[in-house]
This record gives sequence, structure tokens and C-alpha cells, in this order.
Amino acid sequence: MDKKVNVKVCLGTTCFVMGSANLQELIELVPKKYGDRVDVSGVPCLGLCSIDWEFSKAPYVKVNDDVVKEATVEKVLAAIESHLK
Amino acid sequence: MFIDIDCSQMKKYNQNAYGDYFVSKRYPDEARLIAVLSDGLGSGIKANILSCMTATMLLRFIESQQISIRHAAEIIMNSLPVCQIRHISYSTFSAIDVNDDGHAKIVEEGNPEFIWIRNNEVLQPEFEIIQSKTFKNRKMKIYKIDLKLGDRLIFCSDGVTQSGLGGKRLKLGLRRDGLIVLLKDKLAEHPDISSSELSHYIVNQAKNIETDRNPKDDISACVLYFREPREALIFTGPPYHQSKDAEYARLFDKFKGKKAICGGTTANLISRELNKPITMDNTISIGKLPSCSYMDGVDLVTEGILTLTKTLEYLESGTTDIDNAAGKLVNFLLDSDCINFMVGAKLNQAHYDPALPVEIEIRKNIIKKMADVLQNKYFKKVSIQYM
Repeated sequence: MDKKVNVKVCLGTTCFVMGSANLQELIELVPKKYGDRVDVSGVPCLGLCSIDWEFSKAPYVKVNDDVVKEATVEKVLAAIESHLK
Repeated sequence: MFIDIDCSQMKKYNQNAYGDYFVSKRYPDEARLIAVLSDGLGSGIKANILSCMTATMLLRFIESQQISIRHAAEIIMNSLPVCQIRHISYSTFSAIDVNDDGHAKIVEEGNPEFIWIRNNEVLQPEFEIIQSKTFKNRKMKIYKIDLKLGDRLIFCSDGVTQSGLGGKRLKLGLRRDGLIVLLKDKLAEHPDISSSELSHYIVNQAKNIETDRNPKDDISACVLYFREPREALIFTGPPYHQSKDAEYARLFDKFKGKKAICGGTTANLISRELNKPITMDNTISIGKLPSCSYMDGVDLVTEGILTLTKTLEYLESGTTDIDNAAGKLVNFLLDSDCINFMVGAKLNQAHYDPALPVEIEIRKNIIKKMADVLQNKYFKKVSIQYM
């Protein structure tokens, strides 16, 4: 199966201070692990923090159309795995 | 016309304070600029205090507008005390009051004559001499001149014209003629040189002429350059009423000059309204800031508050050449003369969540502080529009 997964890391102010700065290693890790099946990029803002009234679920990462709340490298990798299955 | 003004200074050898003092202030509402250069008697702390007092008092007098620059300078000239030992006045000064149309009034007392350059030729303006009523050996010159686009005015302290005095090559020092030759050569080479670069050049040349490169007097050079302004627009924050998004995005699109967007949501808004895609750097952060993104027709796209806060910090401390988003924004700002801010008043509640590890400033406040620094420290023309 040739599924393509798009990973978008939110770099808005809230997400950045809540930890998306620490997702830097995804940029190097993911291509090594999955080659060009997975594409990781930053986006200026996903606009989720101002909608989600629980606020503190930042940082947000989008894996295809699924939102990963309180994202960590592990959570994002897990999400990628489930999308590739 | 925009007036690009800057002053470079060097201390006398072995002194720890500047004996010349330069102040300048822009009045954006009146499209006016006042600058004063004063040279205090002697050197070091004493000269610093004398010149500082003279320059700041003269600036206050002129800006008050209750009296003319001529009258203001006359009062100062008549009241400056005389040194009991050397029998010369405590300080000398040059002052200019100029508006954006190029009408300038200049007064000089004791400082070397200013140099007016147009098309790489020195012009000789007419002047009126006013004799001091209280001191026989004091007189000041008053000029009324009209400047054109491309003109330059150079004011300097006698440290420049007397540099090299007593040396082997220039027995009488550089003098005004020598300075004119230097300026003409430099301007022929770089016709568009900025005031900051030219004033640095003058001061360094004067220093190099001195024996052992040790300045024997305080050296100051102030340059004014009249040119087309370089306009810049910074769009930051979403408008308070979302219904106005399209309108403001169009204003942004139509702006002629350099453009920057500071803010992720803001960038998305402009991208949506103008139908221009955003692409990102292949990194997440450079230093401690989110990296820049790119949009067609926009010179710089950065994250909002964090980058602005850092930029303000760099501007206040005078840090340049930093390789991150804030460093790029600093360069963007300093490469412009007229800076327009469009500041969205909408707040993102998530920014005020007590759980955030860092304090996030209110956008309006940062921009206000930034405007102050840009105006007062970097002599930029700044306007802020809230939306």
C-alpha cells in the first residue's frame, strides 16, 4: 500500500511555548524512518488553541486530518504508525 | 522627502567620556526634525557635561516653538559662560531645524561650517551674521536654505577638521577643504551611501590621519541625507471584527513597499483572503524562535508575539546580525525609513492561560514600545494603525 501521510506541526505562539519547539527532531527522525512516505512540515498556526476551549491541550500536531493534542515525539510517531497501517 | 540622519563619534585619546554631544528628534506630526551638535570646552567628563547641557537646552528651546531658532540660539550664545583660564566660551554648537519639504534653518556658533553637497558639488549658501551683545568675540551664522532630493548636509566638530594637526603630512590638519575632498571621493564611489555609513567613514578617516591614530580631540560627524523614503508595512494580529479581514488584507496587498507579517493566525488570514499559499522553512525553530515561512509578494513572515518580543529586545540592546526570525525582522525594520504597523486588536485567550510556561505580552504594548525605540533610538518614522 502506498499511503502518503502528512504531518503538520503547529508553530503558533501557544503551541511553540507549550512544546512544539521540542518536536524539531521529527524533521530529521521521520524521513530516516519512513522515507518519503511521510512528509513533516511546520505550519504558521493550525488555529486550534483559540477554538478548543480547554486551551491547555497545546502543542497540536495534525497527522493527515487527525489532531494530536499535547503532542510529543512519541505520540506523533504512534499516530503516523496507525495511519500507515 | 525622508531625512536619513546619523552621527558617529569618537572620544579623545585616553578619555572615557565624549566631549561632543549630539541630539536629534523627529516630530512626525509636524514632519519636522531638529538636530543639535555641540562641542564642549576641553575633553572628558567636563566637556561632556558642557556640551550635553548646551545641546539639550537648545533642542528644547527650538522645539517649544514659542521662539524662533534664531532667537533660541542667540539666547544660548549670549548666556554661555566663559572659561576663566582660557577665556573662551564653554561650548560651541550647530543646530538645524528642517521639515520634510526641505526648508531648513541652520545656526552655527563656533563649530566648523557645515558642508552642503548636491550632485557631488559643494554649494555655498548665504548667511547672516549675528554678533553677540554680551561677548565681543562671539558671533553666530544663520542660514535659510532649501534642500532638494539627493542633497547631503555634513556637520562636524573641529576634531574632524583639525585632525592630523601638527603631523608631518598635514601641518594644519585636515581642514574643511581636505574633508570636502574625502567626501567627494567617497560619494563618487558610493552615490547612495547611507548617513550612518558616511558618518562612520568620516570619523574613521579623521582618526587615521592623526599621529599614531590617537585622536587629539573628540571627533564627531553628523550627516543628513535627503532621499525618497523606504516604506515598510508590518501586519500583525487579526482584526477585532472578523468581517473586516478582507478589507485589511486588501490594504496590505495594495501597499507599495516592503511587507512583513508577524503572527501565525495573521499569516493564515492573509493567505486565505489573498489566496496565496504559505510555505515553511524545513525547520521548526532557529534559536528559541519558530522559523520563518514564505508567501509570494511578502518579504518576511514570522510567528507573532514571541518574535516581536525578541525583536524589541534586540532593538533596545542594539543587537544586529542574529540568524533567527527576530534578527531578520530587525534587519527588515532598520532597512526602512517609514514603518507602518497594522495591529489587530483581537486577543487569543489561549495566550493568557496561566499554564503557559512563559509570559506572553499584549501585542499592542509590544508594538507601542517598539515604535518608541524605532523613533527615539533609530530615528525612524513610525505610524500605528489599530484594526
